[in-house]
Amino acid sequence: MQDIGRTYIRGKTALTALDSITCKVVHGDRIAVVGPSGSGKSTLLHIMGGLDTPTKGNIAWPALGRKEKLRPEKVGFVFQSISLFNSLTVLENVELPLLLRYVKPLEALDSALTALKYMELGSIAYKLPEELSGGQAQRIAVARTLASHPRLILADEPTGQLDHPTAQRLFDILLKSLESSDTALVVATHDSIIARRMNTIWHIEHGRLEVEK
Amino acid sequence: MIFMFQWIKGIFTSRTERLLGAIAGTALTITLLASLGIFLAESSATLTKRAISDVPVDWQVLLTTSADEQMITDAIGKATSYTAFERVGYANVSGFSAATGGTVQTTGPGKVLGISSDYRTSFPREIRSLTGQKHGILVFQQTAANLHVKEGDIVTIKRIGLAPVQVKVDGIVDLPYADSLFQAVGVPSGTAPKAPPDNVLLIPVSTWHTIFDPQSQVRPDTVRIQYHVRLAHNLPADPASAYTYVKQLANNLEARIAGSGIVGNNIAARLLAVRADALYARVLFLFLGLPGAILAILLTMSVTASGKNHQLQEQALLRTRGASIGQILKFEALEALIIGVCGVILGIALVYLTGKFLAPVTLIMNRSAIFWISGSAAAGLILAITGVMYPAWKQARLFTVSSSRALVRTSGKPLWQKLYLDFILIAVSFFIYWRIRSLGYQVVLAPEGVPQATVHYEAFIAPFCLWTGGVLFAIRFWENGLKRRRIISKLLHPIAGNLSGVVAASLGRQRITLTRGVILVALAVSFAVSTAIFNTTYNAQSVVDAQLTNGSDVTIQGLTSSSPDKKMSQLKKLKGVSTVQPMMHRFAYVGNDLQDIYGIDPNHIGEATSISNAYFANGNAKKALSMLVQQPDGVLVSEETRRDFQLHKGDLLNLRLQFANDHQYHIVPFRFMGVVREFPTAPTDSFLVANSSYIAQKTKINAKEIVLIKASSNPVELVKKVKRVVSSLPGARVTDIGSIQRVISSSLTSVDLHRLTRLELFFAVLLVMGATGLILALGLNERRRNFAILDALGAKGNQLGAFIWSEGLLMLIGGIIIGMLLGFGIAHILVKVLKGVFDPPPEHLIIPWGYLGLLVTASVFSTIIAVLGIKVISHRPLIEELRKL
Repeated sequence: MQDIGRTYIRGKTALTALDSITCKVVHGDRIAVVGPSGSGKSTLLHIMGGLDTPTKGNIAWPALGRKEKLRPEKVGFVFQSISLFNSLTVLENVELPLLLRYVKPLEALDSALTALKYMELGSIAYKLPEELSGGQAQRIAVARTLASHPRLILADEPTGQLDHPTAQRLFDILLKSLESSDTALVVATHDSIIARRMNTIWHIEHGRLEVEK
Repeated sequence: MIFMFQWIKGIFTSRTERLLGAIAGTALTITLLASLGIFLAESSATLTKRAISDVPVDWQVLLTTSADEQMITDAIGKATSYTAFERVGYANVSGFSAATGGTVQTTGPGKVLGISSDYRTSFPREIRSLTGQKHGILVFQQTAANLHVKEGDIVTIKRIGLAPVQVKVDGIVDLPYADSLFQAVGVPSGTAPKAPPDNVLLIPVSTWHTIFDPQSQVRPDTVRIQYHVRLAHNLPADPASAYTYVKQLANNLEARIAGSGIVGNNIAARLLAVRADALYARVLFLFLGLPGAILAILLTMSVTASGKNHQLQEQALLRTRGASIGQILKFEALEALIIGVCGVILGIALVYLTGKFLAPVTLIMNRSAIFWISGSAAAGLILAITGVMYPAWKQARLFTVSSSRALVRTSGKPLWQKLYLDFILIAVSFFIYWRIRSLGYQVVLAPEGVPQATVHYEAFIAPFCLWTGGVLFAIRFWENGLKRRRIISKLLHPIAGNLSGVVAASLGRQRITLTRGVILVALAVSFAVSTAIFNTTYNAQSVVDAQLTNGSDVTIQGLTSSSPDKKMSQLKKLKGVSTVQPMMHRFAYVGNDLQDIYGIDPNHIGEATSISNAYFANGNAKKALSMLVQQPDGVLVSEETRRDFQLHKGDLLNLRLQFANDHQYHIVPFRFMGVVREFPTAPTDSFLVANSSYIAQKTKINAKEIVLIKASSNPVELVKKVKRVVSSLPGARVTDIGSIQRVISSSLTSVDLHRLTRLELFFAVLLVMGATGLILALGLNERRRNFAILDALGAKGNQLGAFIWSEGLLMLIGGIIIGMLLGFGIAHILVKVLKGVFDPPPEHLIIPWGYLGLLVTASVFSTIIAVLGIKVISHRPLIEELRKL
């Protein structure tokens, strides 16, 4: 990302979310993006994942290809709140991104079951999201992302709605699953303990970025 | 207070779509209810207006022999206001005779009426000139035929108890309302002879006095005076109220004249007959209009209930900030009021526009209209308030937000499914339908002579049970169907590709919402289909009714002496003529009863007029006519005649017909072949149908008094040409189906259903479009969230669309199929239950394929628009939705 800026126009007011940010994410990176609420963390992740477009600067994904091809193959998202389909079971929710990649249904089913078992969620595969606790639902969201084997995982405050032990457990699983993988992980978080478990911490405030190794 | 304003502002900005939907739904309900109500009120008024305009003489006041005429005249003036008043003399005579063409014809007893020169102006419908002068000595057509006289001939009147007198004929006339003209005034219904006299002379009142004053001295019982009165027609609009009003006027007069006279209340009798039609109009309103109104209410309720989750979140926020249930409900009441008031204003505007352009009514500002508009507005307001407040109150009482979320149902079958209520209701419907069919049930019962007409509301049970049972069965079927994911997945594969499995699973778990959508669409479609089929059948049948009365598109009725079949070759050449068929219309004595006899060519009569199966007791027109073909001396008679003479097929039936050589009636043997109930141009009472060739051969008179013409273009245009051709034929009368259709007022078919059809079908299309669009829009918040998730997961446009297209198409196809089946079933039952509306009853339903095509197209179109619209609304802006995740 080179000199990236993102300004939102609200009526006559212009709100700058990101201001001249230059940064790079490479294979195997473990990056925590920390900063106060409204500092631009989510916007940064959205731009990185191709969900949003910067109003200034250049962004490229040399290892991943064109922006249109990023999702669902190359980039996976984990959101702060429960982002599961209420009308689909756990298993179907995990299958979904694979099916969106035109993976054959049987193969998708297989991969989803494997991912769930790996995350020790096999027993709740046929439950509906409304029957799950918040921690279980976020683990499903993580499993859904991992099942697609993306090259970059962008997690926007994935533990924001969880209590501390549950948050730590979720993060343990996420990091463990990526141990032998060169998938890059960028996590936006308020949790300093989680942030310290990452290789790199990016501080963001008023849309400006400061890197701490 | 400031917070209230901010709340209102918030409602308008954050819930715009739902608010507009609820306002539109409320307005639609008000418009539908008010428009149908106004239509009903106007139909009722039209029925009254048409019925009384058809009465030739409103009152026939029969004076006693010693009555004080001046006193009675004054009493009439005091009892009521009138627009015409005539004094008419009635004298019985022992017969007439005439010597013409070297033979002498004699008739049985008859009547001689003395009328003033103004009578025909005062009561123009009573006498119709056929040939000769309009005033002077006028001979009734049938009497002229019996005596074989024409203008200029001499007729001898055989007075009772005095010497006969001779008069010279000035003209031949028809007396279209002879039944009422010669009614036995004051005699209870059914005790006096129904048939009018066959032998009648009308003479100037001065001549009448000269001839019959002496007879009144000798036999006062044979000479009477009647006053013929036309009342001022400022009657109540409703036939039943109008009947009561004129009945009271007559009672008042009879009380004033204290036994010096009796009122023959023709106008009351007419209104008495029409009240059944008015009740049918009300029943039609209930059958055809109410389902639409209920549907509009359901749609509005669905819209107002659609923001349930949003409402829950708001309530939760308000409660965490310390608001009480009462305070929360006050805020919700504000929304309800906004919807109600705006809906009422829009609804009234739409009622006005509907009344002005779509189904023009004349009663837009009268008392009935104001009653219906205000009543519908009140109903709309209550609907809006209940629709918003009830769910709000219900939710406010729930403990947590999640406990009230019921997107995915986990509970078991509802009670009605466990009790198989759907099957029971359908079975009840079929049972009642079977009873109605087998017992010849009449929804409206208006017995002659009884002032009160009754509606058998239990007849409503059959269509109601079918409607309810059908809907419940559709819910069961659809909910169970959606559980079968493999089948649904296969069905959806063309749209959703490899996502079809998850889409089917998702839809299966949302089956309650989806089934609700399917049912709303099905109800809208069934309303449209049943209304369209019923109204089309009704309108087609009104044409059949008019054709039955008129005979064909254009009909010429003439005299035997100058029969219109002489002009057949000229008529066939006219532009706009498709086929021409002549038909005899003579008179024949069956015992002592003189009946109309129609001589037809059974092989070709159907070419110029429609011969319905319903005309014959065997229910098979083809078979009935073929019997005449096979049996040249065959005759079809009325049920009454068959019963009176205990006839069986093949029995000999001697009729007396007038022969050419001596103009006398002679016996002609016929063979009884079957019972005919109705026939083109025939009267409603007894008549006969036989082979024209046989009648011609026996009577030596080949004249065909009627010519039926089937038009290939507008009959109104053709009438002018036909009139020119037959202008040289004395007494020839040309009528077209359109003019007859306008004047038929004996049945409900005179009520112009076209406007009601237009009104209902317009709303039906709106409801179908509303239902499809609305249901897709209902789960907008949930859908926006799902779209944001899918987008974040990398779904392409077609993959995003797969979910919503699948839902939309399942709902549309399911709704259309169920709606069509229900609509056809209900239309069928309606036609059977309301058979009294039809005269004659239809043989089959008339399907308006064009309209049904339009309906399906509109549904498909509205689904496409809704899907595309929802896609756009749900999809953007993604970033804002993502921030909520």
